[in-house]
Amino acid sequence: MPKPHRNLVRDYAQDLRLFGSPMSKLGLVLMIAAFLVLPTVVQDDFWLSVLIYAGITAVGAIGLNLLTGYCGQISLGHAFFIGAGAYVTAKAGGDFGLPFPLWLLAAAAGGAVLGGLIGPFTLRLRGHYLAIVTLGLVFLGEHLWRNLDDFTGGNSGTSVDADVAIGPVNFADLSIFGESYSRNQGWFWLVWTLVGLVALLVKNLARTRPGRALQAVRDRDQAAEVIGVRAGRYKIGAFMTSSAIASTAGALFGSYQQFVSPDEWNLLLSIQYIAVIIVGGLGTVFGSVLGALFVGALPALIDRYSDVIPGVRTSVGDSGFISVFALNQAIFGLLIVLFLVLEPRGLAGIWLRIKTYFKTWPFSY
Amino acid sequence: MKRTRIAAALAAATLVLAACGGAGDDEGGGGGQAGNPGTTTGFDGTTIKLGVLSPLSGPVAVIGQPLTSGNQVWFDALNARGGVAGKYKVELVQEDTQYRPEVAVQQYNKVKGDVVAFTQLLGTPSTLAVLPQLRADKMLAAPASLDALWVREENLLPVGAPYQVQAINAMDHYLTEGGGTKDAKICTMVQDDVYGEAGQAGIEFAAKSYGFTVANTQRFKSGTENYAGQIGALAGAGCQLVFLTATPTDAAKIWGTAAQARFAPRWYGQSPSYTSAFAKSAIAPYLQAYVTIVAEGTEWGDDSVPGMTEMVDRKNRFAPQQEPDYYFAFGYNQARAMTAVLEKAVELGDLSRDGILKASREIGTVSFDGLMGDYEYGSADTRNPPRSSTLFKVDPAKPFGLATLKYNFSSQAAQQYQFTKANL
Repeated sequence: MPKPHRNLVRDYAQDLRLFGSPMSKLGLVLMIAAFLVLPTVVQDDFWLSVLIYAGITAVGAIGLNLLTGYCGQISLGHAFFIGAGAYVTAKAGGDFGLPFPLWLLAAAAGGAVLGGLIGPFTLRLRGHYLAIVTLGLVFLGEHLWRNLDDFTGGNSGTSVDADVAIGPVNFADLSIFGESYSRNQGWFWLVWTLVGLVALLVKNLARTRPGRALQAVRDRDQAAEVIGVRAGRYKIGAFMTSSAIASTAGALFGSYQQFVSPDEWNLLLSIQYIAVIIVGGLGTVFGSVLGALFVGALPALIDRYSDVIPGVRTSVGDSGFISVFALNQAIFGLLIVLFLVLEPRGLAGIWLRIKTYFKTWPFSY
Repeated sequence: MKRTRIAAALAAATLVLAACGGAGDDEGGGGGQAGNPGTTTGFDGTTIKLGVLSPLSGPVAVIGQPLTSGNQVWFDALNARGGVAGKYKVELVQEDTQYRPEVAVQQYNKVKGDVVAFTQLLGTPSTLAVLPQLRADKMLAAPASLDALWVREENLLPVGAPYQVQAINAMDHYLTEGGGTKDAKICTMVQDDVYGEAGQAGIEFAAKSYGFTVANTQRFKSGTENYAGQIGALAGAGCQLVFLTATPTDAAKIWGTAAQARFAPRWYGQSPSYTSAFAKSAIAPYLQAYVTIVAEGTEWGDDSVPGMTEMVDRKNRFAPQQEPDYYFAFGYNQARAMTAVLEKAVELGDLSRDGILKASREIGTVSFDGLMGDYEYGSADTRNPPRSSTLFKVDPAKPFGLATLKYNFSSQAAQQYQFTKANL
C-alpha cells in the first residue's frame, strides 16, 4: 500500500496541524535547537539583553495582534495594560513575595479584569472612535501611575524585585550540571519559553471555533451577528485576552528591568507596538515575533555598528551629519511607510511568499 | 522509530552544547600593589576606561551633549598632564541612552565589561533603572542629576547640592534680603515627576522652618502646550512669589505665558529651568525684571574664582567650539570627583570594581575649586553633600546670560536638612 504524498491533506484535522509537513517539523527542531544553544554562543550581555527585550516585546505584540489582527479592534491603549502588569508584579512579586508562577498569573488576571472593564466600549464603537477612546486610556493611565503612590511609587517609580524561580530552578542564577549561567542567559530561556507558550495559546485560539468567530467579526461584524456569532461576547473576550497577554509582557518587563517609572508607559510605546504588528504582519502569530525581533534588534544593530557607517555621529564633538538616534528614527518611519505601501502583509507575508515559491516549484510564478 | 531516535540524538547533542556555555562566573581583578594596580576589567595596564551613559540625541540632548563635553575636557586636560597618578591615561566610552530607561539598561550591559566605572549617568529614571544592576555588579557610577535620592547610595557618586537645598536657600534669600515676609503669598509651580517633587519637598521644608504656608501649588506635565490655566490660577491666588521647578522648554513657555498675562510675581527658578538661549530670546526683558535662578558655582568667566579661570582656559584649549554652558561645568565637576576616586584607587593599588568602591569611601572631602560646594564623601550613610547655592540674575550681556547675584551662601535651614535613604 503506497503512502499518499506528504503534502496531501485529507481531512480538517490534518489541515489544522501546526507542524504538519516534514519541512515544518524540521523548522521546529531547528528553532528549538537555536533557542537552547543561542545563549551559550552569544554570551555578550548587550546582545542577550536586546534579545530579551525583543522577546518581551514579542509577547506583547502577540497580544495586540490577537486584538487588532484577528479581531479588527484598533487599540492605542496597549501601553496602559503593559504598565498595569508591571505594577501588579511590583506589588505581588515584590512586596508580597509571591512565587514566580503566581505573580505572573496575578499580572495576567489583573490585565484581564482591566480589559474586561474597557471591553464594553467596543460594543458601541468601531474604527477611529475606538482608537480615540483607547488613546484616552494611555493618558488616564499616566495620571493614575503618577498619583497612586501606594501602588506605583508615584513619580519616583518603584523597584520590582520579584524572583523568577520555579521550585529549585532560579532563572536569574541558573546552574545546570555544575555549569553556572549569567542572569541574562537564564532570562533569555525564560522569556523565549514564554513567547513559545503565548504563541501556542493564541495560535490554538485562532485555528479553532473562537478564532473563526473573531475573524468573522473582524471582516463584517454585523454579518457575523446575523449568522449567529455573538459579536459582543467575542469582542470583549478578545479585549480581555489581549490585555492579559499585554500585562504578562509588562510583568516580565518590570521584573527584568527591576525598576519601572510612569515615564515608560506613554503613547510612544503603544505606537511602537502597532508598528511591530504592521511590520511583522497583521493577523499572524509568527509575524508578531518577527516584527518584535526586527523592530527591537535593528536599532541595536545600527547603534553597535554606527562607527563603521559613514556620516554617523557617535560621540560628542564627532564629525558626521546625523546622530545614531536620528538615523534610527528615520529608518523606523521609513519602514512603516514602505511596509504599508509595498508589503501590507508584513514580514510574515514575505515569508509566506518564499515558502509558496519553494512549495510549488517548478511551477512558481 | 528511526526518526525519534535521530531526534533524541539531536536533543542530547544540543543539551551537551548548551551545558558548556555558562557565563555566570565573575572574573576577579588581577593583583596589584599600592601605586601600581594590576590589570582588570576596563584597565589594560596603561589606559583606564570610563563609561558615559548620556542622552546624546533626542529632546534632552541639549543637556547631555555639553555635559559630556565637560567630562571630556576635564579628562583631556588630565591626560595632557600625564593622566591619573601621572601615568595612566583615561579614555571615555560614550553611549547614547536617548533619556529612555530601557535603552540605558541595554547600553549599560553593552559597555559594563569594558570600563572600570561610569563617570556620567544622566537622567533620574535611567539612573534608577540601572541602579539594581550597579548593585549586583558592584559598579560605581556618577549620576548627572541633583536628586537627594543619590546621597545615601553606595554605588553612586553624586556631586553638588541637591534640588531641595537649592529651594531652601532660595526661600531664605527671599525672606531675608529679597524683601519677602512670611505672610507673603508664596506659591510653587512644579513639574509632575520626581524632579518636581524634589523642589516641592525643599519648599515645604522651608515652610516649616520659616513658618510660612504655601498658598498655591500648580503641577504640570512636561511638554504641555498651554500654561494659561496654571498661570491664571497663580494670578488668581494673588501669588507674590512663585518657585519654579521645570526644564528649559517648559520654563520658556511658562514665563512667556506669564509675561503675556501681565502676571509679574517674583520668580525663583531651579537650576535646570534655565538655558543660555533665554538671554537672546523675546522673554529676556521679563526674565531680567522678575526672575532669579538658583544654582551653584559662579558666572562664566568670573576671574575671582580660580577654578573658573582654569576651566575656561581648558575649554578654549580642548573644545574651542563649545559654547559657555552651565551643564558643561557640571560635567567638568563630575569628572573631577571621579578622578579623585581613581587617584585613590591607584594609590591603594586596586582598580577592580571592589577597589573602586573602596576608594570612593576613602576620598574624604573633595573640593571643586569654587565651581561647586565641597562634598564630604565617605561611606554612603555618613556622606554630607554641600548646602550652598549661588543666586543668579539674568543678564544678556554676560556669556551664558547669567550674572552672579549672591555667591556661594548657605542658609541655616539648608544645613539642617536631613537626607534619608530612598525607599526603592
